[in-house]
Amino acid sequence: MTITVSASGLSLHYGRTRALDEVGLRLSPGVTGLLGPNGAGKTTLLRVLATAVPADRGAFTVLGHDPGTVRGRQEVRRRLGYLPQTPGFHPDFTAFAFVDYVAVLKELTDRRARHREVRRVLEEVGLGDVRGRRIKKLSGGMRQRVALAAALVGDPGFLVLDEPTVGLDPEQRMRFRELIAGAGEGRTVLLSTHQTEDVAMLCRRVLVMAAGSVRFDGTPAELTARAAGRVWRSDRRDAGAKAGWRTGTGEFRQVGDPPEGAELVEPTLEDGYLLVLDGAVDAEVAA
Amino acid sequence: MNTVVVEESPVPSAAAKGTGGPRGVAALARFEARRLLTSAPVVFSFAVYILWTVWRTRSSWDGFPALQDADRATQGGPLLVGLGVLLAADFAALRDRRRGTQEWFGTLVLPAGRRTAAHLLALLPVVLLTAVCVAAQFTWEALKPGAVGHGSPAELLVGPLTVLLLGAAGVLLARLAASVWAAPLLGVLYLFFLVLGTGPSGDTGGTAWLYPVVSTSGNSPFPSDLLGRPAAWHALYLAGVALCLAFLAVLVAARGRGVSARAGLAVALAMALTGGVAQSRGDSAELLAARERASAAPEKEQRCVTRDGSTYCAFDEWVPRADDWAGVVGRVRSLAGDPARDRPLLVRQRIEARYGLDSDSAIPASTRRHQVTVGTAWGGNRVPEFSAAVAGVLVAGSEAAAAELCDGRMVTVMWLAVGWEDDPMGTLRRVRLDDSVEGAAVVLAPTDPLSMTAGQTDVVRRLLEKDRDGVAAKARAHWDELTSPGVTTARAAELLGVPGPEKADSCEE
Repeated sequence: MTITVSASGLSLHYGRTRALDEVGLRLSPGVTGLLGPNGAGKTTLLRVLATAVPADRGAFTVLGHDPGTVRGRQEVRRRLGYLPQTPGFHPDFTAFAFVDYVAVLKELTDRRARHREVRRVLEEVGLGDVRGRRIKKLSGGMRQRVALAAALVGDPGFLVLDEPTVGLDPEQRMRFRELIAGAGEGRTVLLSTHQTEDVAMLCRRVLVMAAGSVRFDGTPAELTARAAGRVWRSDRRDAGAKAGWRTGTGEFRQVGDPPEGAELVEPTLEDGYLLVLDGAVDAEVAA
Repeated sequence: MNTVVVEESPVPSAAAKGTGGPRGVAALARFEARRLLTSAPVVFSFAVYILWTVWRTRSSWDGFPALQDADRATQGGPLLVGLGVLLAADFAALRDRRRGTQEWFGTLVLPAGRRTAAHLLALLPVVLLTAVCVAAQFTWEALKPGAVGHGSPAELLVGPLTVLLLGAAGVLLARLAASVWAAPLLGVLYLFFLVLGTGPSGDTGGTAWLYPVVSTSGNSPFPSDLLGRPAAWHALYLAGVALCLAFLAVLVAARGRGVSARAGLAVALAMALTGGVAQSRGDSAELLAARERASAAPEKEQRCVTRDGSTYCAFDEWVPRADDWAGVVGRVRSLAGDPARDRPLLVRQRIEARYGLDSDSAIPASTRRHQVTVGTAWGGNRVPEFSAAVAGVLVAGSEAAAAELCDGRMVTVMWLAVGWEDDPMGTLRRVRLDDSVEGAAVVLAPTDPLSMTAGQTDVVRRLLEKDRDGVAAKARAHWDELTSPGVTTARAAELLGVPGPEKADSCEE
């Protein structure tokens, strides 16, 4: 497996708050999901990997380039597509002008080739027909797609997406999944999300973060497997349940330590995620 | 801490295919230039500038511009354009900060210093457009049939350089103050400065030249070689200051890094200092001596030409205007009687340059017989003023004598002065200081003014209402008596065939 992004010992403090604590990871082409509760350090990790902020300690490389040097940082940025959690927009720009502006800042200097590339990515995200429309006239979902197009322009080798589907309706989320899946073909995508379904459907690998460190690093199936034998259903809420809720059938679906003779059910990735966060299963983290 | 060595991506990105550097800056500059040129402040300020320039240039200098003044007239409009560019450049440079894209776009390839350089380069098309407008305005003036003199390329550069300077100030402001209110606040102060007209003039001392545009308040053009404006040094100073601001902006954005930017700042500072010091040295002794000569003994500096027996002596740049002056002299003489009708006159151009460009010092009336003074301005009211001077000399013999007239001869003078005009009553109104055709008034002339009493005004007005040829015939027939010292206004009216004043004029009593 080709390792395209590698980090070790990444640490970052905001005052006394430890946002990242000795984070290490290895990414390879394809979509890698990054799960974690609010405040886990997901966005901080993405910002560090996107060279938006420097880490206090540790090092990482992207596609063979070390952003610790000025030249290396430039090389990383040449190969990077970054979609932040709350991307700002220039409302008076058209969708085309906005992506073109980003393309210029990515140093795509040949005007004709750049415009061709901008049109390509706008077509790719399904905005070819509205590329001349001002951003302030676009819906939230369309704006998010403009931001994704901006991240994709220049065909970056490493794509960092910070909760790109937040605030989107189900149809838009499905459309986005399609886009991200396409983007993950042949390039490395790190996708931060709260949507475990996104990870289950898109990702070859998943990282789970909590309190600034990586608690799990494996495949979605492995994360799901962490909950094998730990999910059951019964008529009442059991004492050993870490989490449980009444389903539409009137039964309780529960995750945790099942009682003797409990009726076990198939776990989901979300069950595994809950248990990893809870510390009920052993964390498995890349060195 | 260890770094894992990894393999290169199997798919090299398009962005990594060897672009960037100066070409990246140029690409962003082109992008920003298009946006700057179509931004609301720039479009609005250019629209106002062009409309104002067209409206003003249509009738400026009454169609008789001295190009050494017309070049300076191109400097005011770009101040407004500069304000628009300052705002637009500041907003553009602050765009990412204002819209919350700063961190996001901070991860893109082009570094902050180069982005700032691109914003500065984006000013060049606006500066070039301003230069085109300045050139068009000046060319328009130069193509007017009555244009004389020579413009200065350095004076013409001031407008575009002012736009460059203010644009660079806008970019620097954005790098120093994150607030979007900084530039508008500066703009309000700037407008306040412009509207109040508190700009400096060239004669307020060397420090006046620290401002971008240094105006002059005098109304009479000077010969080019007597201007003494350090226009070239000022252009160098402005270019130096603009480049200082530009390189400072780049250095602030790049946090002081960049050898070429630091070197550029040093060169720009040297330019600004050289220009600033050189422009502040004041008038040289040679210039003051030349102004003295031109004021006190212009005949030594002038060239003379002859038209219809009269001699016209002027500073070199105004000699082509001799035909216009000769036309007026000929028309006035055509209404006069013998021997004035054929008397050769000496028309001498005179200026008062000893007190500088901002001075509006009066030129004393000449005591020499048959010599008429003409100024350096022409067109509009300067024509009947010159006509009054010619008429005064034809009737009284000299300008000094004409200025002292207080008898009926004044009727003849004024009828000669305005009688040949297509709209003699309107011309009479304009040439009088009070803009009326009733009562006593001062009549403007190139040197000392003439005076009309209320009675003389009444008689002249009645004469202008009558047939010109009929009055001219009577004037010729009674020329000797009409031009005799002591002739009363009533007698002059009687001789010319109109009712006289009801009572004697005050100065005849």
